[in-house]
Amino acid sequence: MDKRRLANLLSSTTGLALTIAIAFAIVVLLILILSDEPGRAIYYFFIGPFTKAFYFGNMLNQAIPLIFTGLGIAVAFRSSTFNLGGEGQAYAGALVATVILLAMPTAPGIIGIVAAVVGATLIGAFLAGLSGFFNMRWGTQTLISSWLLSAAVILIADYFVTGPLDDPASSMMTTAKIAEQFRFLRIYLPSKLDVSIVFAAALAIGTYFFMQRTHWGYEMRMCGINREFSRYAGIHVGKYLVIPMAISGGFHGLAGSVTLMGTHYRCLKGITMGIGWNGIAVALIAKNNPIAVIPAALFFAYLNEGARAAMLHSDVTVELAKIGQAVIFFLVTAQALYGLYNSRKKKVAA
Amino acid sequence: MSNTTFPIPLLHSAVRIMAPILLAATGGLFTELAGMLNIALEGLMLIGAFFSVVFAAATGSLFLGIVLGIGASILAAYVFSFISLNLRANIFITGLATNLFAEGLTMVLAFEIFNNKGTIYFENLAKLPVLSIAWLQRIPVLGDVLVGHNVLVYVSWVMIVLAAIVIYKTPFGLRIRGTGSNPGAVEAMGLSPRRYQTYAILISGFTCGLAGSILSLQLGAYVPGVTAGRGWVALVAIYLGNKNPLGIVLACLVFGFADSLSNWAQGAINIPADFVRAFPYLITVVAMIGYSIARHYRTRGSER
Repeated sequence: MDKRRLANLLSSTTGLALTIAIAFAIVVLLILILSDEPGRAIYYFFIGPFTKAFYFGNMLNQAIPLIFTGLGIAVAFRSSTFNLGGEGQAYAGALVATVILLAMPTAPGIIGIVAAVVGATLIGAFLAGLSGFFNMRWGTQTLISSWLLSAAVILIADYFVTGPLDDPASSMMTTAKIAEQFRFLRIYLPSKLDVSIVFAAALAIGTYFFMQRTHWGYEMRMCGINREFSRYAGIHVGKYLVIPMAISGGFHGLAGSVTLMGTHYRCLKGITMGIGWNGIAVALIAKNNPIAVIPAALFFAYLNEGARAAMLHSDVTVELAKIGQAVIFFLVTAQALYGLYNSRKKKVAA
Repeated sequence: MSNTTFPIPLLHSAVRIMAPILLAATGGLFTELAGMLNIALEGLMLIGAFFSVVFAAATGSLFLGIVLGIGASILAAYVFSFISLNLRANIFITGLATNLFAEGLTMVLAFEIFNNKGTIYFENLAKLPVLSIAWLQRIPVLGDVLVGHNVLVYVSWVMIVLAAIVIYKTPFGLRIRGTGSNPGAVEAMGLSPRRYQTYAILISGFTCGLAGSILSLQLGAYVPGVTAGRGWVALVAIYLGNKNPLGIVLACLVFGFADSLSNWAQGAINIPADFVRAFPYLITVVAMIGYSIARHYRTRGSER
C-alpha cells in the first residue's frame, strides 16, 4: 500500500515538473522570438519577482484571490460538479461588497467588512447554486449553464460599474472608493500585500478538514468518486449537486470581496482579471487538495508577476503569462506525462 | 421602416449574425457525435478571426487570408487533439486551455506586430463580396431575407448541408457516429476510434477558422474578444438542435434572431448596451434549461 502511494506521488510530481518545464520552455522560446533583448526579458521573467520587496509582496498578494478561487474549484471538482462561472461569481461578489460598503460609509470597520464578506459570499453561492439546482432538478449541464450565467453577470456588472455606480471624479471606469476603515491592513509596504493572506491560508486548512473530517465532506467526496454508488449507499446525491456548487460560488464571491477590500479599494471594470479561470488551473495543479492549493496559487502568482516585471523592464507584454498558464492548463491533466503508475493501473483494469 | 416590412430587416440581420455560430456548430457537431465535449470552439474561432484578417492584410488577398486563417485554426485544433487524445488529457480542461491560449497568443502577437492591444483597423482591406442570387430573390418575403449577404454566409449553408451528407450518407460519417455511440464496435472493425476523434476535431478547427474569418473580415478589423461567446452559443445550439443538422440550423436562427432583436431594441428603446449584450447569454441559458426540462419529462414519460 505504502509503496503504491509512493509510486503514485513520484509519478505525479515528475509529471508536474515536466508540465512546468515545458511551459517555461515555451515562454522562453516565445521571448527569444519576440523580444529584441531576450536576455533581459528572460532574466526579469524568472528572477524579477524576487528582485524587489515591492514585486515580491505583490506576488504574494496576487496569490490571495487565487487561493480562494482555487479552493472553490477544488471543492466542486472533488464532488464532480463543474463550476465554470467563477469569473462572474467573483465579479458579482466584488460588486455586491462595493454596494454594501458604499451604502454605509460611516459604519465601524468590522461591521462593514463582515457585511460585505457575507453579502459577497451569498451572491456567489446563489449564482453557482442556481446552476447546481438546475442540474439537480432537470439535469441541465452545470458546466455550460454556470459559464453562460457568469458571462451574462459579467456584462450586467460592467453596466453597474460604468453606469449608475460610476465615479464621475475618476477618469477610469470604476466606482467610488470605499471608506478608509474598510480597507485591509497592508503588512509589507510598499507592496500591496495585506493581512487577508492569513485568512486565505486558514481557509485552506479549514477546507481540508471540512472535506476530510466532516460528514458533509465525506459524502461530497463519495459523490465525487461515484455518484451511482453513493445513491445506493443511501446518500442524498441530489443535495450534493447543489451544495458543492454553492460552496464553490461562495468562495469565488469571497475572492471578489477580498480583492476589493485588500487591493483595489474600488470596483474597477473587470476587477477580477482572470482569477476565476486561473482558479481552475490552480485546483488542477493542486490535484484538488486544499492544502496544495496554497503553493499552486503562489506559483500562478509568480508567473503573473514575472511577466509583469518582464514587461516593465523590457519589451515583452504581460499576456506572455497567459500563454505559460495555458500550456500548464493543457498538460496538467495529460496522463501520458503522469506516467508509470497510471499506465500500469490501466493494464490491470484492461 | 414601415410596419409591414418590420420583421424583414430583423430576419435579414439574424441570418447574417447566425452564420459564424452555424459554422462553429457544424464543426462542433462532428466532435459531439464522436463523443467529445468540445469547449475549444471559442478559442479556435478567435484564432481564425485574428490570423485571417492579419494574413488578408499582409497578402492583400481575402481568399489567401481566409485560407491561412483556417490553416492556423486547424493547427491549433491539432495541438488540442494531440494533447487530449494522444497524451490522454481531460478534453474539457484542454478545451479551456485552448481558449486561454488563443486569447494569450492573439494578444501577444497583436502587441508584437502592431504595438496595439486594442482594435486594429485595416484601412485598405477589401470588403467580403456580397452575393446576389437571382432565383432566390424572386421568392416573395423569404427572398428579401436570404439575399444580399456576404459570400461566407452562403458558404455556411453549404457547409451544414455537406456535413449532413457526410454524417448520414458516407462510411466516414458512420464511423464518426460509431466512435461516439459505440467505440468498441469501431475498434472491432479494425479501425481506431482515436483517429476518428482526431478527424472530428480537425473538422471543427476548419469550420471554426472559417467562422472566425467571417467575424473579422466583415468588420475589416481585429477586435480583441470578437468571438464574444459565440463558440459557447454554438455548443448550446448543438444540444438544442438535438445533435441533428436541421435542428442546429433552427437553433442558430433563434440565437441570430435574439441577437438582432437586441440590437434593434438598443436603437429603438433606451436599454444600456451591456444589458443588450448580456441578452443572448440569458436567452441561451433559458433555452438550455427549457430543453433539459422537456427532456426530463420526456424520458420520465417513456420509463412508465
